[in-house]
Amino acid sequence: MATVTVKLFGVLRMDTHLAKETLNIEKIGDLFPSLNAQVDKVYAENKANDPTLEHPDPLAYKHTVIFINGDRCKNKNQRLNDGDEIWLLSPASGG
Amino acid sequence: MTNLKGYMGRVLFVDLSKRAFSEFPWTDEDRKRTLGGKIMAADILLKHITPTMKAFDEDNWLVITTGPLTGTGCPNSSRFNISTISPLTNILTSSNCGGDFGLTLKRAGYDAAIITGRSETPVHVHITQDNVEFLDASELWGTKTGEAQEKLKQYPGRLVIGPAGENKVLYACVFSNDRTAGRGGVGAVFGDKKLKAVTAFGTKLPEIYDEEALRELNKKWIKTLKNHPLTGRQLPKLGTAGLVAPMQAHSILATKNFSAGRYDNFEKVSGEELAEHHLVSNGACTTCVIRCARMCKVDDKIVKGPELETLGLLGPNILNDDIELILKWNYELDEWGMDAISCAGSVAFAMELAEKGVHDFGIHFGQTDNLSQMFEDIAYRRGEGDLIADGSKRMSDRFGGKEYAIHAKGMELAAYEPRHAVGHGLGYATANRGGCHLNAGYLVVLEGLGLDIDSLTHHGKAALAIMLQNLMEAVSGCGSCLFTSYAVFPGFLVDQPNWPLTKIILAVFPYVGPVVNLLSHFTKAPKIPLPLLPHIKAVHLATGMHTDTSSMLTWGARGYNTERIANVILGQKADADVLPKRLTDVQQNPDDPRTKVPLDVMRKVYYRGRGWKHGIPTYHRLKTLGIVLDKKYYDEAVARAMRED
Repeated sequence: MATVTVKLFGVLRMDTHLAKETLNIEKIGDLFPSLNAQVDKVYAENKANDPTLEHPDPLAYKHTVIFINGDRCKNKNQRLNDGDEIWLLSPASGG
Repeated sequence: MTNLKGYMGRVLFVDLSKRAFSEFPWTDEDRKRTLGGKIMAADILLKHITPTMKAFDEDNWLVITTGPLTGTGCPNSSRFNISTISPLTNILTSSNCGGDFGLTLKRAGYDAAIITGRSETPVHVHITQDNVEFLDASELWGTKTGEAQEKLKQYPGRLVIGPAGENKVLYACVFSNDRTAGRGGVGAVFGDKKLKAVTAFGTKLPEIYDEEALRELNKKWIKTLKNHPLTGRQLPKLGTAGLVAPMQAHSILATKNFSAGRYDNFEKVSGEELAEHHLVSNGACTTCVIRCARMCKVDDKIVKGPELETLGLLGPNILNDDIELILKWNYELDEWGMDAISCAGSVAFAMELAEKGVHDFGIHFGQTDNLSQMFEDIAYRRGEGDLIADGSKRMSDRFGGKEYAIHAKGMELAAYEPRHAVGHGLGYATANRGGCHLNAGYLVVLEGLGLDIDSLTHHGKAALAIMLQNLMEAVSGCGSCLFTSYAVFPGFLVDQPNWPLTKIILAVFPYVGPVVNLLSHFTKAPKIPLPLLPHIKAVHLATGMHTDTSSMLTWGARGYNTERIANVILGQKADADVLPKRLTDVQQNPDDPRTKVPLDVMRKVYYRGRGWKHGIPTYHRLKTLGIVLDKKYYDEAVARAMRED
């Protein structure tokens, strides 16, 4: 197990209301079940204040751009080390 | 008049020197050839300019154009364009804006207005269906853009300049509501003509060729935009500011005058920070369904917040991590009426000149206490501000530092550091109006931000640049917001970056270059429908013109080539598509030789794909696109371009 910091950006953060989490996981594939549990918790808290709130789509590897310590994540089996910083991003555009 | 629907059928010609107006001849054949917007404007200017004409000449024309979709009820289609000779670059600039002026110009019965001459005293031109009034603007002169618009609030469609335009700051812009025709110094041309404001009013509406079918198409189009991950989710939720974090991740966030692509404190100036702590509401241009603008509170006023470019260039690029200051500066720049990109780029260059001990302008990286004062000094051309008001290129002509004066053709680059998105670097270099990310074709959206093709390979980038430049040119010519073109990328490719099929498709993407090139060159060939580019069908349903994919590509290529040959006539040299050496010769990552823009390699392929020699369209290429020029005149222009200074 590694203790890692996970930061969410973009639509993922706006939808889930999660900005930063500390998790104990072995590899990237383990990230999403742990994070989704956290999403459920935050949603339940927010729903109490705003009954119209809809549950966000679950976070999933397929939909997420992932960087580990500034480098692009290679695959979901990539192993993690203590102190790793993981960024989860959604595609973006602008001009 | 016109037999085509969608258009109003009249082009207004206003002479400020004579205080007279007339109708400018423009036929249906011209409309079919040039569509509208910047393509139409380039065609008009090509026939007017001479090799010796300069931006501040009395007979430099301001050409304000709408598109056939402006005012037709199509989503995101309230845009208008202002083209003229730029005082910043001395070549054509085209500046696109989402304010209300385009709609009201059309309601006054005009597709376009050409303004020439110079008034002796400040003037406000008011356009109505039957008349043009030349109103005294002495009391408006000297006002900031907000106050000027407040004083003109009885007019629904307004164009105004601020003090920067009046003082001919070379990157002064023009405002319509809180939207800006920002780039290339069109505001300075207004100021030179003593033209403080243009307003329009009317009650006309364009006739629609097939109203019911267009209404049905619009419903589907709006649904597409609202369901697309970029135009339906990211842009409404985070605005363009949402790019800061992805740009940091992909090492393309311009930092310290483009000396790096990442900034440690990026989160403090990110779209997330803006959305979570400063956003009051979303804002939008008229008819927009994306609503990407960020309305924020500054000094107890609700104002338009910063776009990505302002956040990046007044944040990481000058080593500032105080977002509240950026909000304040953004508002101040709007009030002075200055292009935030060119102003911030020039400021960063001044800071580096100071750091290197070349010349101290009194502003320094990481020092923020005196920047508000400097912006005011620039707007009024006081002290050191007078030098910065001329932009990076002229500053480097005077003080040196050309290798790190971050501009292309004299126009400062937007906030994307291209050494980690090399195709975007090619776009910057080849863009007709200079260092503009949108005129460049916005390849960065493919190179990591929206889609994820290899951002460091040169393969296929030239072909993609040409294709996107042409498509965006045509979308702009329709009167539509360029952001609507992002929905052309299939949602599943954007939404599922780690799906194996997405990875396979994107891995192959750079190697389909030759096919893309053929489509761009032989524009009359592709007839395939592109359901994700509804503009094609919308133009047909609005105007009755026959349209297909090939028409869009042809209009785009025609516009791009018209602007290019106009630039050559105005004095642009051969092989002028260059970038500062910092971006082409210095690796962003010292351990990775691919992290610089391989411009020479890509440019060669780009020129071949365009049918250009040394960056100049061949006579044959112009002819095949229907751009008619006297052969002797063309040859003389080319000879001047090839001649060494």
